[in-house]
Amino acid sequence: MIEELFSDYTLRTVALGAALLGVVSGSLGTYAVLRRQALLGDAISHAALPGIALAFLLTASKAPVVLTLGAALAGWAGTLLVMAVVRTTRVKSDSALAIVLSVFFGVGLVLLTHLQRSADASQAGLDRYLFGQAAALLERDLVTIGLFGGVALGVALACWKEFKLLSFDPDFAATIGLRVRAYDVLLTGLLVLAVVVGLQTVGVVLMSAMVVAPAAAARQWTDRLGVMMALAALFGVVAGVGGAVVSSSAERMPTGPTIVLWLTGLVVVSLLAAPRRGLVWRFAADRRRAGRLRLGAALADLDALAVRHGSLEHGHSVSVLELTAGRGVGRSLAALEERGWAQRTAEDEWAITEAGRDEARRRRGG
Amino acid sequence: MTSAQLEIQLVAVVVAVACALPGVFLVLRRLALVSDAISHAVLLGIVLAFFAVGDLSSPLLLVGAAATGLLTVFLIELLQRTRLVREDAAIGLVFPALFSVGVILIARFADTVHLDTDVVLLGELAFAPFERFVLFGWDWGPEALVEMGFVLALNVLVIALLYKELKLATFDPGLALALGFSPALLHYGLMALVSITAVGAFDAVGSILVVALMVGPPAAAYLLTDRLPVMLGLAALGGAASAVGGFWLAHALDASIAGSIAAVVGIEFGAAVLFAPKRGVVALARRHARQRVEFAEAMLAIHLLQHEGTPEALAESRVDHLDEHLRWERSFARRVVRRAERRGYVVTTDGRLLLTDRGRALARTALAV
Amino acid sequence: MNAPSPALEVLDLTVAYGERPALWDVDLAVPRGTLTAVVGPNGAGKTTLVRAVLGLVRPAAGTIRVFGGPYRERRRLVAYVPQRGSVDWDFPTNVLDVVTMGRYGALGWLRRPGRREREAAVESLRQVGIEDLADRQISELSGGQQQRVFLARALVQDAEIYLMDEPFQGVDALTERAIVALLRELREAGRTVVAVHHDLQTVAEYFDEVALLNVRLVASGRVEEVFTEENLRATYGARGFLERPAVEA
Repeated sequence: MIEELFSDYTLRTVALGAALLGVVSGSLGTYAVLRRQALLGDAISHAALPGIALAFLLTASKAPVVLTLGAALAGWAGTLLVMAVVRTTRVKSDSALAIVLSVFFGVGLVLLTHLQRSADASQAGLDRYLFGQAAALLERDLVTIGLFGGVALGVALACWKEFKLLSFDPDFAATIGLRVRAYDVLLTGLLVLAVVVGLQTVGVVLMSAMVVAPAAAARQWTDRLGVMMALAALFGVVAGVGGAVVSSSAERMPTGPTIVLWLTGLVVVSLLAAPRRGLVWRFAADRRRAGRLRLGAALADLDALAVRHGSLEHGHSVSVLELTAGRGVGRSLAALEERGWAQRTAEDEWAITEAGRDEARRRRGG
Repeated sequence: MTSAQLEIQLVAVVVAVACALPGVFLVLRRLALVSDAISHAVLLGIVLAFFAVGDLSSPLLLVGAAATGLLTVFLIELLQRTRLVREDAAIGLVFPALFSVGVILIARFADTVHLDTDVVLLGELAFAPFERFVLFGWDWGPEALVEMGFVLALNVLVIALLYKELKLATFDPGLALALGFSPALLHYGLMALVSITAVGAFDAVGSILVVALMVGPPAAAYLLTDRLPVMLGLAALGGAASAVGGFWLAHALDASIAGSIAAVVGIEFGAAVLFAPKRGVVALARRHARQRVEFAEAMLAIHLLQHEGTPEALAESRVDHLDEHLRWERSFARRVVRRAERRGYVVTTDGRLLLTDRGRALARTALAV
Repeated sequence: MNAPSPALEVLDLTVAYGERPALWDVDLAVPRGTLTAVVGPNGAGKTTLVRAVLGLVRPAAGTIRVFGGPYRERRRLVAYVPQRGSVDWDFPTNVLDVVTMGRYGALGWLRRPGRREREAAVESLRQVGIEDLADRQISELSGGQQQRVFLARALVQDAEIYLMDEPFQGVDALTERAIVALLRELREAGRTVVAVHHDLQTVAEYFDEVALLNVRLVASGRVEEVFTEENLRATYGARGFLERPAVEA
């Protein structure tokens, strides 16, 4: 498999393209996710369609650079419209995104179907943009991805601290003289670039996952922006190459959806297993905390019973303890015994030890 | 107009109205993008239901798809509840995953599933009249019309029956819960409606247009009215209008009907944004300009009032002093003074402004905001 | 020679959000080297005043001068401490990094913060008493610690005037004392502080000057002269007394 990655021209091209894409959309998606604009990617990818159609209509060229440029302009116009609608009217951003997304797409559809039926132009790659055709990636496509993606990444790195400040605290940024609106438009423009270069590989519908998933996964592993962005890029590469390899080795596995499933897998693993934030980690921590609480409660119960009976040796049956401490008291008792704070006096009977009594007093603050 | 054209328009209108009604609640609850998620994710439900039933026209497909829609909503909420990802990211994670599984299943079993993913996304209304619904040897009309008619009836029925509950749960979920109407139940009920509508509509108009019809007309209506019943009516009307308008636009351009309807939805929404009587951009700009002058008028009155009877009153009340003191453009100052004179707030004598009683009253009211 | 211009001078300031005026014809002068509280009921325009000074909202009318000049030219002299709730505390960054952001304005384009900026940041963390939290992820901070981080970020700007929006909001007693001590240090160093403040009980203790605001400016000046029951009644009206019976007594 690895060998093929280097020897098979098609696979190599596809994998390289998908990896490049993963880097670009993963790292720029980081800002989108942090700024709660995760679905902007979805809107951009749909809004790009009329741009592709118009670029083809005006230049009669199918060169990827031309079509990508058209897509970028339309996607950018779409996001600016979303911003304008949200700013000037009471329509909320979710509605504005949904409308721009569907209306631009509809207009793109009108243009493309009009083209197809009036002229005998073969489909200007409509299918290619809807679902992506990674298998059809050529070297010139790689150049396009590298060119646009490289520009986007370069600008993002050059404006590192400005973008960080903009994402974290735009008001403060404005007070120290940052031109917040301009940087906002610029950063959104970079996201547009990242999205449109991926369209013909992953497709309109699934491109949003390329933006959201790597960043969402990366966020779980780190608390540093730089690391998060690097991890997101890495996840993007892993999913891209993984998707390319799997879809080329299995029959009828479309590349775009396969990449998305890889991404989904990475997200699920991250949500579960990431240290500290991950669900498994949190679950274990909760269990430990609950165990400690139950242990303390069982100790206090035993102590109270000993006080009432005026004797440490008097054993108390588990069923009595269950009345207050619940069914799981057996495990707490075992743990108490382990620490030498309780002892078994009979088959189902327990008593507090001296050490246990001292501990109980200490915990009561006495 | 041929009967096929009439039937296509009928189907489009029914689809549009069926989408607009639950869409109103989506827009009000800020869940517009859930329509996007559901309309894509139902693809998986359709495929799975097809595997179970083996028939693309079975009503069970509706059930399967509705179940996937609910699953989508459930997964989004599950992700959100971990607090590890936020709502927008949760939506963006869930539906591409479900859609991908659907696309892969279709690709791998393309021999058995005669589903075209293009059609799911784009729809093809032009074919609607060819699939007839025949029952008891009688042609009841295009299948899509019967199906969407059923969906529309369901939406109308549910919204009519649960109107006050939906309204309450939309505006004040806390109160709804306190009064014993489970907002969660209503939420999932609404999502079930959205899912069924999305499935019913998808092969007529495609999932992207479902988004346009569910969000566009309600959002336009939201700019036109503050009343929920009016909003429902306007959204339905706007949806129907875009359906008919879109059909004829497509006819004129020889282009996709679904795309044209979406384009008309966009035109409607754009018109509402610009020209809505109270909230439109134009109305806002005009009100803003008027306010500026009214503000300035009150400021002028306050300025004069504050200096009335003081030694510097003579200097402060000179017309040409205003641009200096109040930092107004000269032309703006002239406009304000003229308007104030016209309304009887001030009188001018020898280039000096004097407050009238009316003007004094204006200043005092303004000061007591 | 003229007397030095006030640290902050607001003339005829009017700000409106839509139909409602948030501030109406406000005149205010904040002398240099004082601690000034901006006090008033909810919706009185306190935050709006601060935001207008910082150029974050555009006034409908009026002028604002900072040390005799427009804000845009005096930006380096101004530090801003926003309300704690205004940012996403789950943002992937740590305390030192947030504080270093205070130097970004002085750094300019393309330059990365280096050792000097970090040292300045550590120093201001020390001033607010949380230098041990420098590497802490910001999502793990308590309310008081968050407030101290914002204060440290303002300190690192080494400004002449500090505008603070509710610096005591929701902080523990220890942090409150630390902030008061810090404000006094700033005053000792000749700096000016303008803080939106909620707690009428502590105005006289913490501040030198007070501006009583309720859309219009009711009164401003030395606390002992201006902070009177009569002015408070004019500021809060009957509603204010219902909310704060302590003042009436």
